[in-house]
Amino acid sequence: MPGRNEPVPPQRPGLDISMSTLRDSIERHARYSQAQPWESLSTRQMFECVSLALRDLLIDRRLETERRYRHADAKQLCYVSIEYLLGRLLANNLSNLGIYDLCRETLRHMGADLDLIEECEPDAALGNGGLGRLAACFLDSLATLDMPSYGYGINYEYGLFRQDIDNGYQKEKPDNWLAFGTPWEIERSGEACLVPLYGRVEDGVDRSGQYNPMWLDWQLLIGVPHDVPVVGYGGRTVNLLRLFSARSSRNFDMQIFNTGDYLRAVEQKIASETISKVLYPSDAVPPGQELRFVQEYFLVACTLRDIVNRYEKAHGTLDAFPTKVAIHLNDTHPALAVAELMRILVDERNLPWGRAWDITQSTMAYTNHTLLSEALEKWPVPLLERVVPRHLQIIYEINQRFLTEVACVWPGDQGRVQRMSIVEEGPSKQVRMAHLSMVGSHSINGVSVLHSRLVQTTLARDFHDLWPDRFSNKTNGVTPRRWLLQANPLLARLIRRTIGEGWITDLDKIRALEPYAGDSAFRQEFLAAKRANKERLARLISETTSVRVDPASLFDVQVKRIHEYKRQLLNVMQIVFEYLRLVEDGVHPAVPRTYIFAGKAAPGYRAAKHIIKVICNVAATINNDQRVKGQLKVVFIPDFRVSLAETVIPGADLSEQISTAGSEASGTGNMKLAMNGALTIGTLDGATIEILEAVGAENIFIFGLTAEQVQAWRNCGTYRPRDLVSGDRRLKRIVDALASDRFCPKEPGLFRSIFESLLDQGDPYFHIADLPAYIDAQDRVAKEFERPPAWVSKAILNVARIGRFSSDRTIREYANDVWGIASVPESSGQG
Amino acid sequence: MEIVFDKVGDLTVAAVPVEELDASNAGEFKRDVAPLLEANTKLVLDLSRLHFVDSSGLGAFISCLRKLNASGGDIKLCGMSKQVRGVFELVRLHRVFDICATIEEAVHAFGPKDS
Repeated sequence: MPGRNEPVPPQRPGLDISMSTLRDSIERHARYSQAQPWESLSTRQMFECVSLALRDLLIDRRLETERRYRHADAKQLCYVSIEYLLGRLLANNLSNLGIYDLCRETLRHMGADLDLIEECEPDAALGNGGLGRLAACFLDSLATLDMPSYGYGINYEYGLFRQDIDNGYQKEKPDNWLAFGTPWEIERSGEACLVPLYGRVEDGVDRSGQYNPMWLDWQLLIGVPHDVPVVGYGGRTVNLLRLFSARSSRNFDMQIFNTGDYLRAVEQKIASETISKVLYPSDAVPPGQELRFVQEYFLVACTLRDIVNRYEKAHGTLDAFPTKVAIHLNDTHPALAVAELMRILVDERNLPWGRAWDITQSTMAYTNHTLLSEALEKWPVPLLERVVPRHLQIIYEINQRFLTEVACVWPGDQGRVQRMSIVEEGPSKQVRMAHLSMVGSHSINGVSVLHSRLVQTTLARDFHDLWPDRFSNKTNGVTPRRWLLQANPLLARLIRRTIGEGWITDLDKIRALEPYAGDSAFRQEFLAAKRANKERLARLISETTSVRVDPASLFDVQVKRIHEYKRQLLNVMQIVFEYLRLVEDGVHPAVPRTYIFAGKAAPGYRAAKHIIKVICNVAATINNDQRVKGQLKVVFIPDFRVSLAETVIPGADLSEQISTAGSEASGTGNMKLAMNGALTIGTLDGATIEILEAVGAENIFIFGLTAEQVQAWRNCGTYRPRDLVSGDRRLKRIVDALASDRFCPKEPGLFRSIFESLLDQGDPYFHIADLPAYIDAQDRVAKEFERPPAWVSKAILNVARIGRFSSDRTIREYANDVWGIASVPESSGQG
Repeated sequence: MEIVFDKVGDLTVAAVPVEELDASNAGEFKRDVAPLLEANTKLVLDLSRLHFVDSSGLGAFISCLRKLNASGGDIKLCGMSKQVRGVFELVRLHRVFDICATIEEAVHAFGPKDS
């Protein structure tokens, strides 16, 4: 076992910059960007200056990176995602550049506090949840691995809503994250692209008499790119995230303006710019609104135009396109990219259909992120006909050729043809975006072993039968730079001191911590770090909810989007059980426990918003019941976001991953929490199954139905939750209490319908079926937590065995198996 | 708008006199180019001043083409900026119009001059 206190030289020293150089740069921005002396700046202005000074460094590195990629003529990945949940960037950029401590010290000499400056930065919340945060983790890994890549997205003016809790009810407030601008974005007006939409297609012939459909009478949007530099750990590589803002094609119609109707003149401008105004606050419930569809098309049109322009500038004709470009569709939101690339190749570049199709299919790859039917995008044909008439024609052509292939493979199997068709026939015809994505891609993957299997055996079974080789699994991952090194500096410092720094860029090396699980001195230090993180979290809870919690209690954390399948209600039911046992039976919990919830419900998702109300009311009842004497506390922290997660996750003892088996595609919160030494209580769902395999059954609390059992219940239709409740005293007591007015005395009857419908409407997420096993598992948790040395050993082993859940591993798999891209490290670009 | 033109043999070479041709002035262009279409069957349109064209502007060009085609004539476009060319490609109009790099090339593309 290596000595813990031996200093280990940093693997990547980061940027070579002195304090005085950094100070000069910050002061220069105070003078020339803010036009004020440093001493008179507000903290917000200081944030601007520090960020701009940092941006200068990033731009230098970006230019070098670009030169290196160009010299290597490297294949590039273009990752297309409707969401990026970046969070704050200042600390992340400082940390990845390797100058976090230097900057803190520089600012101290300048009379400023980096912590306060960091707090000024609004989260860039251009996403809802896991899908967007995954995209952000991937960008970090791609840059850290020196892989040539662009992220493409939308520069939403308003990010995900800000969540206030008012009397237990979620209230949504606008999140105008760009109100003061952002120092990180570089506007590239010179690279703006034109996006036609609406209009009609007129059949005609070209000059040689060939059929030539012309897209006429369209309106025009302008997509203006804004580049956000993404620096990898060590500061060697800076990739770009390119976000498009929508602008109208003209400032406003001068003719209307000249007639004196100013309002009508700006109307069109406003309508155009609405396209990038607001992030849709749900990725699970299709809003069915035209704006969302136009957003998706806008993203795709801008992205493809940018990619093709860049490619042609470097390579000329498009023949070798797939050897230099890989396009990845992060879920189906960018699925129109298949039709858009075909349109460019066939309409604009005159390629024959077959050649264009080969290029398109060889370039595109698609990740499926959900099996939930309500989250599988389908758009009405009339909508496409109105917004993108030429694309609809192309989709019909793709579909017709594809179904001919299906009919050849399975002659006479009309059922299969109907099931596989991109266009769903019926009273209202719809385009199935998942089918378009699968047909147009050479690679299709799920995001955990279970999910990928379910994709292949249920959702896309016919497609898997047709093209088994196109399917694979790429289990999600998270970046250890953001989620351990930056979010948990105390634990990161202990790990660095103990096993060195290799784990930061090669998380498998964190396994070297394993022997320390049995080392009592190390355990003490680990425990001390956890305790300090819990104290930090307790302060945050007190500040945001006015509830004081005991850092010595077990911090039981469920933080994620609020959704029925994630089963926050299951957690609540177990809490009520504990509470009733305490106040009615006098049975004290084995350990005092603080239940911590956070998460946003989509504004239009009534059931999810009700769940928040249930949590808050149960919390109020328990927290104010003198008989509880602090043995139980329940808190709902408002406005969950990346920066909040960075405080909550390091302070967690227990990670709740209790979705109905077969529902969660992967989850990434499960990985972040285990990486920070929380033990998981969870079902056999998503990547939690792989966490079980990695950390060992003795270091995790697994309970409940398997995906197969859930499916069997669903198939046989004999699941009767009311019968189960009637036959189990514990369950009846919980449901009766929640359905009564006990937790809603001021709003009688408020929760009755929730819990009665759970019993009468079949409990589609199997709360009742899993509740007894969950209660038993929670009892096992409490017993384990009573024995701190054993608990801490398990926590250490969770950290030590988390290596495979680094997004670096995921990215390497995609790079090798799907994208065909390679690292272009610093040494390779010389010459 | 005033459309300046030259005669080169039996061809008419005219220039689009604006930088932007869109909903605000496409109608005016159509009106003012109409006399040229009445009097000529072979038209070269020089677009070198044009920086931006929208669907109304394209509609005006299509209208010119159709009128000339109806009377057995043709139109050739030249001097297109990259951006304007991009708009034509976007909607497949580059296959409908004969697009030449320069006036000379466009004139040459009409074949031998009658005088």
